[in-house]
Amino acid sequence: MSALKLETIDIIDPDLYVSRGYPHQEWALLRREAPVYWYERPNVDPFWAVTGHAQIVEVSRQPALFKSLQRLFMTINEEGAPDPNEGILRQLLNMNPPEHGAYRGVVNRRFTPRGVQVLRQQIEAITTEVLDGLVGREECDFVLEVSAKLPLAVIAEMFGIPRADWDTMFRLSNMMIGPSDPEYGGSNTVKETLELARMEFFQYFNTLVEDRRKNPRDDLASALANGKVNGEPLPIFELMSYFALLIIAGNETTRNATTGGLFAFINHPDQWRRLKADPSLVPHAVEEIVRWTSPVIQFNREAVADTELNGQKIRAGDLLCLFYPSANRDETVFERPDEFDIGRNPNPHIAFGIGEHFCLGANLARLELQVMFRQLAERLEAIELNGPIQRMRSSFVGGIKHMPVRYRIKPRA
Amino acid sequence: MRIVVDHNLCEGNGRCVEAAPGIFELRDDDRSYVLEERPPASLRGKVELAARLCPRQAIRVLDE
Repeated sequence: MSALKLETIDIIDPDLYVSRGYPHQEWALLRREAPVYWYERPNVDPFWAVTGHAQIVEVSRQPALFKSLQRLFMTINEEGAPDPNEGILRQLLNMNPPEHGAYRGVVNRRFTPRGVQVLRQQIEAITTEVLDGLVGREECDFVLEVSAKLPLAVIAEMFGIPRADWDTMFRLSNMMIGPSDPEYGGSNTVKETLELARMEFFQYFNTLVEDRRKNPRDDLASALANGKVNGEPLPIFELMSYFALLIIAGNETTRNATTGGLFAFINHPDQWRRLKADPSLVPHAVEEIVRWTSPVIQFNREAVADTELNGQKIRAGDLLCLFYPSANRDETVFERPDEFDIGRNPNPHIAFGIGEHFCLGANLARLELQVMFRQLAERLEAIELNGPIQRMRSSFVGGIKHMPVRYRIKPRA
Repeated sequence: MRIVVDHNLCEGNGRCVEAAPGIFELRDDDRSYVLEERPPASLRGKVELAARLCPRQAIRVLDE
């Protein structure tokens, strides 16, 4: 193994995420030598790389000192990229208190642990239907046929979006999250892909809003369309952005946790046998899957005033980038952090973030993953890779686009 | 020690009730309420754990 050096490591180039997956060795070096590190490279705007669990928590719980901004994440400067300071949407992830809380309050009751419980039966039924679709064959692309289907179906049903339009939601979500991946962006530039996806999303949501203002139902689309912030309806751009956020976040990340979770089980067959033998481990297993896969790689903050973090002098205006998968392998927080252990407890991972911007959909994601892995453990009799996985070109979300598998499944649940 | 829950942040995740039952209670409005605002010092460990585990960091433990 060649010795890594702080001055030359790369944790941003999206092509590296395609070829090697997450840079865990680089992050380990950063945590060890500089958990708050001024990252300055020719191909990227400079920023503080925050990789330690304690430091990410410290930043996250002070939204007044470290604010969220239009620029959500760091990537290399590429031709055809949009102005990073503009941002393509304006939604919760770009907002700060008190505006953030006011916007979040429009729908947050639907995502609390109690709020998501009403969806359990539906999630069970969708999962069974998805797995029934695998019966009668022995090979599939697990991403397209399983991982992508459940979360997309659930969020679409919550919105009241008809089945005929789910493929469109899937395609547009991929373009928004992976615009620099040729499979999603085609020959268009990143900016063109983002603007196309946004336009098509907004047109679709606009029709939905008009309908739900006339014929309100008990669904998320109606809640947003008729929702109020500080007594006023949401401005149109923020309203459209809110739809896009929930559709995208509601299907991308859980998809990747599902795929990454099964991939981890394929690579750790002892843990798979353990889960099959003791389904009561499912809740712990899901926390470990979320820790292990940490589907969101990074979010930015901007320092509002001069301050200090882990002994480093941060200046007002400096960008900080929080690397969640790194925090979730922090040796000072987790015993045997590089071990996939589905019985891990406690498991204080921060894959959903922490504080003001803690993932709105965390309880929904947990429920979906618990149902999915319970049913998988019950019905999958054999599972193996049938070719290499294909990762998305992104240093923002750890996407797995394809995972060919060979399997044997029980015909009925 | 005095405990304060910020109801602008709390979303009823209930980790505090798991960490410190009898001190916090989850109610129908999906918010956590402090049952014992000034618990005995012997419970400090549990209270601090609850504050640390809170996903939205809505719990403050004040020295007063």
